[in-house]
Parts: sequence; C-alpha cells; structure tokens
Amino acid sequence: MNEIDSRLTRCFQAVFPKLSVASVPTASVDTVAGWDSVAVVQLLNLVSEEFGIETDWEQAEEMTSYPAIRKMIADHISIS
Amino acid sequence: MRYTSKLRLIEALEINAQRHASGARPYRSSLVCGFMPLHLSDLFRAHLNLAFQDRDVLVETGLYGDLSGNIERALESQPDSVAIVLEWQDLDSRLGVRQLGGWTPDAAEDIVAGVAKVLDRLGSLISERPRHGTVVICPPTLPLPPFSHEPGWQAGLSELSLRSNMSSFLTRVALVKNVRIASSSAIDKISPLADRFDIQSEIGVGFPYKTLHADAVAQILALGIRNAAPRKGLITDLDDTVWRGILGEVGADGVHWDLSNKAHLHGLYQQFLMALAARGVLIAVVSKNDPALVEQAFAREDLALKRANIFPIEAGWGRKSEAVNRVLKSWNIGAESVIFVDDSPMELEEVKSVYPEIETRVFPTRDPAAAWKLILDLQDQFGKAEVREEDRLRLSSLRNANLFEASTAGGGAQGPSEDSFLSEAEAVITIDTRRDAVTSRALELINKTNQFNLNGKRITEAEWDTLLADPAAFLQVVSYQDKYGPLGNIAVLAGRAEGSVLRVVCWVMSCRAFSRRIEFQCLRMLFEHLNATEIELDHQATPRNHLVKDFLSTLAGEINGGPVRLDRTSFEERCPVLSHKVNIR
Repeated sequence: MNEIDSRLTRCFQAVFPKLSVASVPTASVDTVAGWDSVAVVQLLNLVSEEFGIETDWEQAEEMTSYPAIRKMIADHISIS
Repeated sequence: MRYTSKLRLIEALEINAQRHASGARPYRSSLVCGFMPLHLSDLFRAHLNLAFQDRDVLVETGLYGDLSGNIERALESQPDSVAIVLEWQDLDSRLGVRQLGGWTPDAAEDIVAGVAKVLDRLGSLISERPRHGTVVICPPTLPLPPFSHEPGWQAGLSELSLRSNMSSFLTRVALVKNVRIASSSAIDKISPLADRFDIQSEIGVGFPYKTLHADAVAQILALGIRNAAPRKGLITDLDDTVWRGILGEVGADGVHWDLSNKAHLHGLYQQFLMALAARGVLIAVVSKNDPALVEQAFAREDLALKRANIFPIEAGWGRKSEAVNRVLKSWNIGAESVIFVDDSPMELEEVKSVYPEIETRVFPTRDPAAAWKLILDLQDQFGKAEVREEDRLRLSSLRNANLFEASTAGGGAQGPSEDSFLSEAEAVITIDTRRDAVTSRALELINKTNQFNLNGKRITEAEWDTLLADPAAFLQVVSYQDKYGPLGNIAVLAGRAEGSVLRVVCWVMSCRAFSRRIEFQCLRMLFEHLNATEIELDHQATPRNHLVKDFLSTLAGEINGGPVRLDRTSFEERCPVLSHKVNIR
C-alpha cells in the first residue's frame, strides 16, 4: 500500500469504523452503510486536513467512491 | 489554558470510536447551534471524551436553522450538559451569507431590532426553563458581514447596538445557576479572527468554520463544561521573584519591586499573589534566606504582598524540597494541587525530583513578556467560577487549624484531656438539610476532596440534581465554627432513605476540619434527625482515603474496602463524647 492509500485508508476508517482495511479500496456509496451526505462532508474535510487540499464543495457530488476520492487527491498532488 | 490540546479531525474521530468501543458509562451532551454542526460536533465530542476519561460521550445535535427551537429541546431533554454556540447569522439570517435578505440601511435597522427580540426570547428560555447540568454559551466568533453603511474600519451604531444587546443578553444569563459564558478573549488567543470563517463551506454545506477554528470552539466549550478544579496553593521564592535583588546581599531596603528601580514586574507579581490570596488560594514562601531578614523585608509597608496573607514562610538554608514538605504538611493538601514558582531552574528541578506531581514555573526575572504570560497562566491554574465565604476564610481557618492541632498535641491524642479540650472549644455545628443548600460549594467539596472521601466518586452537576430530586434523598451540608474561628462549609453527606435504613452514597469532609469529631456528629444527626436504625455507607477504598477506613473501623471493627453497615445501638456504644452545639436547618 503506498502512502496515499495508507493515509486515505485511515481517513475512511475514521468515518466508517466498521470498514475493514481490505474493503476500503472498493468502498462506495452503494456498498457502505452510512455513506450519506454528512459522511461525504466528513471524508472531504479529513482529506483536506490530511493532504492539504482545499475542499471544492461543487465536486462533492462526484465523490461517491474510494477510487473517485483517490483520483482527486492524485490529480491535486500531480498538479502541485 | 489548563487542559488544552489541539485535535486534528482524524484524531477526534478515532478518539470517539475508541471510547465508544470501550463500553464506558455514557455522558450526554447537547450541542446547540443554528448551522450544520458537522465536525464541530465530532471535535466537541472528542474534547469532552478527553476531559471525562471514564465516560463515553454522546453528543446530540438539533435542526438546521432552528437555534431557539434547538435550545428549547436541548434544555427539555435534560442532558448532562448543554453547549450553545451563537453566531450572528443564527439570530438573523441577513447577518449570514446563505440567504439574500438584503443589506440596505433600512434592513440594518430592522436587523438590530430583530436580533434584540431574539436575544430577549433566548434569555427568557435559558433563565426560566428548569434544567439540571451545566450550560456553556459561546458568544459569536465570526465577523459581521457588510450589512451597515460605515467603512470597515468604523464600528457604526448598528454594529455597536448588536454588540451591546449581545453583551446584555450574556450578562443576564451569566447570572443563572450553572450557566457559564465562554470568554471571547480566550478564543481570540487560540484562533486568529482572520482564519475562522470558511465561506466556501458555509455556502456549500452550511458549516461556517474552518477546521482549526471549529477545534478552538470545541476546546473552549469542553473547558467550560469540565470546569476543572483549580489549584489550591502557590509556593513562591523571594529573591528575584517576589522582589528584584538578593536580600542577603542588599538588605531589606535594597530589594525593589517598583518602576523607578526597573523592578515593576515583581510588583505586578506581588499584586497578583494578593489577588489570589483574597480568593482563598494559599500562598507560602520557600526561600534560602535568613529568617530574621525575611521578616524585616516583610515589615516594609510598601510591599504589595502583605505578610498576613502568607502562611507559612519557610526561610532557611536547607533543601527547598524539605521546606516544601513542611508547607504541604501545614496546608494538609497534596503536592498535585500546588504550583511552585522560583527564578532558579535548579531549585525547581530539585523540588520536582522529590515531588514529581508538583507543577513548577520559572519566574522570568529579565523578561517582562514571559512574566506576563506566567501571570496569565497562573490565572488559568487558580481561576474559579465563584469566590465563596469559605475561600475568604481559608487562610485564617488554616492558621486556626494549626493552632488547634498544636493545642491538642500538647494534651495527647486520646483520653480525658482531648475530651476536655474539645468541650472547651465552644464548637457549633450547623447542618443544613435543605435540598438547595449551597449546592455549588457542596459539589466542589465532593469533587475536590480526596482524603476524607467515602468512595472517591466524582459527581457531575446533572447527577447531583438527579440525586437530590429523589423524594427519598437526604442531604447534610455541614458548617463549623469554634472559639478559634469559623471554618465555613466543611462537609457534605448525601444519600437515600429506605424506611429506617439510610444509604449514604457520598460523604466528604475538608481536611481543615479533622480532629474535631465532626464526622461522629454527622452520623449521630443522621440517626436522630431521620430516625434511622441503620446506616449503610457506600465505602470504597481509594489510594487516598484511608482516613475514612480508619474512622469507620473505630465504629464497625475491621473493615475491608467495601460498604459498611452501622446500627444505631453499636454507634452510640462506640461514639466518643461530643460537645458540639448543633443547629439543624
């Protein structure tokens, strides 16, 4: 697991404590109970804090899965 | 500030998850605001979990946009505590950015009038609704929007009126029992004004705070709810601490604390120590100096710190840790309740090596900014919500207690001489059995007393109110005075009656009141006043309360660390002669 995944996994498990490490990479709004708008806000705030990314709330609707959030982080890091 | 640790959001979530999984006893708190509480709620919960290490904190929140409804519902649900966060936008949405209500001059007038009405209503809600538990209110922390016509650098009448109405509201509710107002200055210290408002988050999801500011607000709310017990005593050095100069080198007239001798820092420190003394904080001196020279210096009339407010003065040439030991014995308090201030890091280290639990602070003789920071830190360490009569009496009652102990020691610990000594003390015990008897002092005693404490259990304000609301509950708040002087309220005893059996669930007595047989009188009055045949005491051994076990053993024989039952007949057979005059209210 590389550093982004390791830190992002910690964020996911903080918001969804019952999510196992193995389940995190495939976590999405369709597979995780409790993945609601409040959870998304929590996740994006954690990501902002952890990775120093300013949250773009207009993108929030697209953040529906681990891969989507991971891509957002990777895109931000590659731009900066 | 005491207890202050910044939390990252991820740390807060992890703390909350771990505590919930531990199965600890729940603690309910309501977080009331008009905006989406989001991670303010998570951070607040985590700070409360850190404050109450043995509890699982559950935070209830309300409805978006309904501040007064949320306050009403929170007060009705009777949680252990309520935290109310006020922001201007929740008093009038035109003072926020999510609604377009208008910022014209007419609107500004209407806004001021509307906010005044809302604050009046909130004031009535908070003052008149019966509740138990603590309420902490955080005043607005976010800047006002450009709703008035003045330039940004000018505080116009509309802004001044809003702030004046807010101030009146806060003053009104600050007078209500168990309501505390968070200090805006305290928030200013830890959260810069320019870094608080997150307009993107406010517009996007209805949460107006940047994460660091949310943490600052959460910290202050948790501090207000926890209301940690203040320290009890301050021990201070003299040379280059209370005054500038070395007394032994320059003599009593050669030490200074004034502006003209560039020693004003020390005058400020003395003034602060006097203020602490007036609030009931014990002040002692530990100094490597000639005792006679020290007394000469304290005879100076221009000292801001008066000799009469210091007890004891330990001046000599031995190790400071030994002098601290004597001070602690005179005060009869633990080292963990004390701060030691000295300009010498070496002396601080020496004392700390013997008393690791004592807090030490270096007095920064040549650094005014650091000295000012020290004074503000000491304010936090010793600050308390109320100064009571017992606080004002503390020093004189301590001196009297030492005089009392010396007198009883002269006659021997047991036997006729102690009986006759106590019979001549002209002791008067007043037992207040009313449910509202000096509640805040009673709770303070229960939560601060370690030595004579039946079981070491700490009680929140909400739990105390619940206990006393039981029709079968009984309460004794005991005050004492004798010919040596008054001690004020020194014991609290509470429990429930089940027929003729009384179950005592908490019992504490101040260490100032030992050796006067007050504890025996408390039990006798329970038997007589409540016509009991048996008393069951919820005793549990703690590392500090062996005095209780020793006392109960004199009545019940050898006991283990658990509950103790006393019947009236056995009590009267073993109770010593009691000479107090007793008044019951």
